[in-house]
Amino acid sequence: MIRFLNASVVYPGGVQGLKNLTLDIPDGQMMVIVGLSGAGKSTLIRAINGLVPLTSGDVLINDVSLRGASQKQLREIRSRIGMIFQTFNLVKRTTVLNNVLMGRLHDAGTGRSLVGWYRPADVEIAMQSLERVGIVEKAYVRASNLSGGQQQRVGIARALAQQPTILLADEPVASLDPPTSHVVMRDLQRINRDLGITTIINLHFLDLAKVYGERIIGLRAGELVYDGTGARADETVFRDIYGRSLTADDVMGQEAPAAIPG
Amino acid sequence: MTAATIGQARGRPTRPRRSPWSLVGIGAFLAITWWAASREFGIGFDLVSVFTNLTRGASILAEFFPPNWAYLPRTFEPMLETFQMAVVASALGCGLALPVSFLASRVSTPNFPVLFANRTALNVVRALPDLLYALIFVAAVGIGPLPGILALIFFNIGVTAKLMSETVDGVDPGPIEAANAAGGNRTQVVRWAILPQVLPNYVAYSLYVFELNIRASAVLGIVGAGGIGNNINTARKFFQYDNLSVILIEIFVFVFVIELVSIWLRRRLV
Repeated sequence: MIRFLNASVVYPGGVQGLKNLTLDIPDGQMMVIVGLSGAGKSTLIRAINGLVPLTSGDVLINDVSLRGASQKQLREIRSRIGMIFQTFNLVKRTTVLNNVLMGRLHDAGTGRSLVGWYRPADVEIAMQSLERVGIVEKAYVRASNLSGGQQQRVGIARALAQQPTILLADEPVASLDPPTSHVVMRDLQRINRDLGITTIINLHFLDLAKVYGERIIGLRAGELVYDGTGARADETVFRDIYGRSLTADDVMGQEAPAAIPG
Repeated sequence: MTAATIGQARGRPTRPRRSPWSLVGIGAFLAITWWAASREFGIGFDLVSVFTNLTRGASILAEFFPPNWAYLPRTFEPMLETFQMAVVASALGCGLALPVSFLASRVSTPNFPVLFANRTALNVVRALPDLLYALIFVAAVGIGPLPGILALIFFNIGVTAKLMSETVDGVDPGPIEAANAAGGNRTQVVRWAILPQVLPNYVAYSLYVFELNIRASAVLGIVGAGGIGNNINTARKFFQYDNLSVILIEIFVFVFVIELVSIWLRRRLV
């Protein structure tokens, strides 16, 4: 369970990232955050693993407060939270396997990871993660030689290698073409359902949000303006979240190729 | 369309005026250069005396030829020593510079006091030229290759750590965020998110530093710090210019070969 308690983030320079956000995210939920760029979506996601510190209020991860956590405790909390990124954030010069093993750092020990002698068990977990996203045959390929969709799957495998209970995805498909976007979104949906990992995803395509979001929350200027099911979120709701009428740019515009039935 | 009408077209911005400070800067640069070269205030640099004095050394230059090739075998051992000094100093200097460079970049060391201390220390190390280090170490540990190696190590740390810390400043921050999000500690972030990004640069800088060391260790012997420089010094002192020319040709060939090899290596590794 993730709990936001009156949480606010003000960036240096006065920009309000989050404003008095109170929100409960139960275990195993697939939640999608929508909002315009600058509405606070990335801030909300990064507040969950402490990459962005709160300025007031608190976030509790399974009743552990992020606000009072030491650096060591913060790393411990982060090790249970996987994260994937819009630009994949892979080390492109090294192998896929080395990238995925980054998900095992928290458990590998500083000395061992410094020289790269990962335990066979850690390598096994990394390989299984690659199998889960279907690109284990690329394990020893340089990350830069993969396509965008494949790189994002490496990103997902890296997060899975942490054996997380929470998965954060910051605009995971914004750099991908529509068919590849659906493939990656279905990967995330399957992971959420098969492994019961709480999954929180930032999206700006409303049709994707409706198809994949078990629950949708809307942010506007750092404030929660919508919280409900994907089914209930119609055009009026989105207009309200965006504060303007919708345009063709707000939808990906390609039918989802048969999402996994719930 | 004339230049005037381009600027006046509707909705286009007018060209901003150039800051007067750029003119001041150019003026200051010219003034300082003139001051440094002038006869009245500076070192009195003029090309005329270069030409009028050009022939004065002709008799000395003539003594360089023909080179005394019989001397060549006696240079092999000191030349090998020069090479070995460069190898040892490059390995130790560049090796030590790697951790130091991470401590001198704000990307890998956000702690400001640590960053500031390391950058200041590096500036101090870099302030002295290699020949001065050699003088200091010759005084401290006596003549021979050891003070030369020590001098080169300091010289190498300064150069490599400076170049590397600036390279680290410019890495893609994405993988660093990913490694932090995965719960990695600072050492692990440096090892797996930063090092793979800067490793090709590190190899290139190290090879470059090795080349510098070959050249530098030829000179270090002049102050008694080992290598071929000892022979240069002797030949110079006893006016054995035919021996000196052999050494110079040898160094030229040697540096040229080293450079070819390092270009080839760099192309393969980077």
